[in-house]
Amino acid sequence: MEGVFDFAPAIAVFPLVAFVIALAFGKHLPKKGAIPGILATGGSLLLSALMLVAVSSGEVYHETLYEWAAGDATSATGVEGIAFTFGILIDPLAALMLVIVSLVAFLVHVFSLGYMNAEGETGLPRYYAGLGLFTFSMLAFVYADNLLMAFMFFELVGLCSFLLIGFWFRTKSAPSAAKKAFLVTRFGDYFFLIGVVAIAATFGTLQFAGDESFVAAAQTAIDDGGTLFGFDAQTWVTITGLLVLGGVLGKSAQFPLHTWLPDAMEGPTTVSALIHAATMVAAGVYLVARMFGYYALSPTTLAIIAFVGGFTALFAATMGVVKDDIKQVLAYSTISQYGYMMLGLGVGGYVAGVFHLMNHAFFKALLFLGAGSVIVLMHHEQDMWKMGGLKDKAPVTYYTFLAGALALAGIIPFSGFWSKDEILYDAFIVGLEEPVIMAAYAMGLAAVFFTGFYTFRMVFLTFHGEPRSEAAEDPHPVGWSIKAPLIVLGVLAVVAGAANLAPVYKLTGLELTFLESWLDGEYGAIEGLTYGAYGELLAYETGVVGTEQLTVMIAAGLSLLLAFSGAGVAWKLYNVPEPVVYRDRLGRVGDVIEANYYQDEYQVWLAEGVTLPLARAADRFDQTAIDGAVDGVSTASLFGSDRLKRIQTGIVTNYAALLVTGFIVLLLVLGYAGGWFL
Amino acid sequence: MTVGIEYYVLLSMLLFCIGLFGILTRRNALMFLMSVELMVNAANINLIAFAFYHGNLTGQVLALFVMALAAAEVAIGLGIILVLYRNFRDVDVTVPTTMRW
Repeated sequence: MEGVFDFAPAIAVFPLVAFVIALAFGKHLPKKGAIPGILATGGSLLLSALMLVAVSSGEVYHETLYEWAAGDATSATGVEGIAFTFGILIDPLAALMLVIVSLVAFLVHVFSLGYMNAEGETGLPRYYAGLGLFTFSMLAFVYADNLLMAFMFFELVGLCSFLLIGFWFRTKSAPSAAKKAFLVTRFGDYFFLIGVVAIAATFGTLQFAGDESFVAAAQTAIDDGGTLFGFDAQTWVTITGLLVLGGVLGKSAQFPLHTWLPDAMEGPTTVSALIHAATMVAAGVYLVARMFGYYALSPTTLAIIAFVGGFTALFAATMGVVKDDIKQVLAYSTISQYGYMMLGLGVGGYVAGVFHLMNHAFFKALLFLGAGSVIVLMHHEQDMWKMGGLKDKAPVTYYTFLAGALALAGIIPFSGFWSKDEILYDAFIVGLEEPVIMAAYAMGLAAVFFTGFYTFRMVFLTFHGEPRSEAAEDPHPVGWSIKAPLIVLGVLAVVAGAANLAPVYKLTGLELTFLESWLDGEYGAIEGLTYGAYGELLAYETGVVGTEQLTVMIAAGLSLLLAFSGAGVAWKLYNVPEPVVYRDRLGRVGDVIEANYYQDEYQVWLAEGVTLPLARAADRFDQTAIDGAVDGVSTASLFGSDRLKRIQTGIVTNYAALLVTGFIVLLLVLGYAGGWFL
Repeated sequence: MTVGIEYYVLLSMLLFCIGLFGILTRRNALMFLMSVELMVNAANINLIAFAFYHGNLTGQVLALFVMALAAAEVAIGLGIILVLYRNFRDVDVTVPTTMRW
């Protein structure tokens, strides 16, 4: 596989070219830019797969390609000179993510043929250009080898989501949702930017890997026990880690910056699939995984990540329970599932978190594309109460959607079960020693029940029972371009779990933990970026209940029990020919959940009630005090000169008199100073 | 017998004050010019007196320069007065007051 890495830049460049082509010539192309997009993402997928093969044969790639600025700033740790570069880092994690992103992007492009082209949408060149740029930014973000490059493409991902969420810009809601997504994530990115600057200023490097990396520098600083910027090294690492985490919370829609994501459903469903499964939202969690070594140095940050993750998982899952729009349910499930990944990473379950990221990419892309298919079937109706009975009329959509739903709910043996169970297991064993993690675990566990419930409520309402509208009785047919991606993802949602059967290994000793060995660098990895290396940095104690086998059984049994009971309740309530709305029985609790816990309201209040008056006060201070001082100087000199110029009368005699008076006064003053009159 | 230097200075001061008085009180431009001439010559007296007192010629040379200067000044001044008369039909210096604030 020698030399295959020379093609690495092409992975990101292909979609960029597709972007340019779609933008420039899209109008004249047969499918309005879809073909270049499909070819480009297909090419990226092929190359990513080659990278995967190359990495599995023990090679890794870490090259700086372009240095665009260098300076000789001295950092707090004494490193002299800092360079800002573009580089590529392909290690097992990046290779895996490249394949996931390019696969999902490819399938989304194909699906778009049926979802956008066949439905006669306008503005398709813009759409495909957006998809191309989106894929480009995400792929470049994935194999970025330093934090600054990652930040730049992170921002570009945010821009693309803005463009695509606001695709139907003639409606009232889409531009508003796009702006909201942009602003909320930008709020988080602001902290990320400060974090990048802080890390650069502290360690003088922004590399992710190698001896020159900021992770290694931070570790040395902590070992030396020095102080950085007046803080103890450990505290400073925590502070910078939390700053970067701000960007993660925004992009991965974690509490309290999750409010943009449900609104982002205003974009085309294909875009939602791309955003939720592989690009925008995944970027946040991927960043945590990418610089996991840095977070592993700071137990406080990890605990915060875990707690926020657990809380978000439960919080979003409860909100998903009362939604009537099929895409809204999926939106809240996304927030909830990313909460799980954060929980997994926060408890040191690096493999579990990445595993769930992978599985989620497959089953959430599947569910969103399935929902897109349902929306086509239903003549663009998204209210689940108007659906029903689609099971027999659209079997491909139904069975693939069911596979995704089973994976999402975490039912054995679908992929979601294996990864979610591993996350919960990792949280459980750490939680036995640490109460905070135990609380996060408890929330994550409770969320399993709600996940099972809302997932199957959605499935039953959409596909089971009697049709509840004319559209549901006579669905619009869907073509191969919609079915083929669903089948591919459906198969992956079923089998992807086999990548890491950790419980099986722990119970029977069978070596079925392929992903763990993959991330642990058994096939090839960059030193310091392996699961084992991270494990040594972690400060967590783990406990067991009785034996390890028993602990595994308890953890898996609990989550399975809850998932089944959630699904069972949904079965009981909604798997009937004529389901009724139970929402009113929730009473005031239902009102609060329906209103999303008033999250939007309080954030709007924060903006309008706190920030706006504050800005007004600052503006007033600027207008009065600062501008007043400046204006005062000019007014005084204007007024003064207006008076003073009156002595210029135009009469020569007056000038002569003034001249003489001035001379005499000068004479007197000099004389007085010279002591004549004393 | 020589006259003391202080008498020259007193004479010069007298002449200068007469000139100054003329400038401050007269409105006729020609009188103005004459007054200026008086003041210039007061300075000349001073120069020559001190040259004599010090016994060198520097002051006298300077006085020659001042005379040349005075001649030039009068030429320009008369020109101005001519233009003044042409524009205002008068040589009163308080009449043209357009060049003011």
